[in-house]
Amino acid sequence: MTSKVYVALRVKATPERAFAAFTGEIGQWWQASPLFETTPRPGTLSFEPGPEGRLIETRAGGKVFEIGRVRAWEPPDRLVFSWRQANFPPDLHTEVEVRFEAVGEETRVSIEHRGFDQVPADSAARHRFPDAVLLARLAEYWQAQIRSLGGRATR
Amino acid sequence: MADWRGPLIPAICYRDPKAALRFLEAAFGFELFMLIEDAEGNLVHSEMRYGAGAVMIGHEWSDDHKSPASVGGKNTQTVHIGVDADIDGHCERARAAGFEILMEPETQFYGDRTYRCRDPEGHIWTVGQTVREVSREEAEDASGLKITGWV
Repeated sequence: MTSKVYVALRVKATPERAFAAFTGEIGQWWQASPLFETTPRPGTLSFEPGPEGRLIETRAGGKVFEIGRVRAWEPPDRLVFSWRQANFPPDLHTEVEVRFEAVGEETRVSIEHRGFDQVPADSAARHRFPDAVLLARLAEYWQAQIRSLGGRATR
Repeated sequence: MADWRGPLIPAICYRDPKAALRFLEAAFGFELFMLIEDAEGNLVHSEMRYGAGAVMIGHEWSDDHKSPASVGGKNTQTVHIGVDADIDGHCERARAAGFEILMEPETQFYGDRTYRCRDPEGHIWTVGQTVREVSREEAEDASGLKITGWV
């Protein structure tokens, strides 16, 4: 078993638009957070699209950090990618699943982030938080990301 | 923090809160908004949304937090759901999800049509829809009650 953090919010767009904004425009809506920093100096996120794609962060000097690899690319319904931060132990990969479900004229965007409790107790990525606090903060982090995506997807 | 949070949120105890998330969605259309599970798959925190309302669904996390299923079916508080339309259809959905209908939809003297049901763990829910505007005088005449605070 692995820990799970699940959050869902509706955005005012079709699943097709929400998926396209999530993957194609992540550099425009992504909100960097000091709690869950992917790299020490935030760069710009982007997806290399497709089933063999990657989620990468390009830093100011042009250096590229791979956050994760795409594990499922099923537009407009579902996207799964691995997730590791630069401050994770080298062998730790967590997993993020994003679903896009039409509800009337809106889309329910849900995110499930699995395995974050495996971040070791002494890791800087954990900020000394016990599991329950860490996972609650992670839930809030993803809620903020979906809200920001929602603002972008309505354009 | 959450995008918004009302100042009153019922936090409801279940023996099997993950089953409750499923049957509350099936019966009432509540949407799962947040769920946190530990490495053993135990529910740590969860929240469902319904329109401008929210409920938290939790387990029996102390000796003083019990599901009706653990205390002979007794309820010490119940939650009221307000719907905008089609309360009879709402009732049928709850019935189809395995909820026991304790009172079929019925129009009340104060202008709301209401029904009452019991979920699989024994929590009682009341559901209402305003179907007719009723004045205070009319409601007092119909009920024989003195009513204060009627807007």
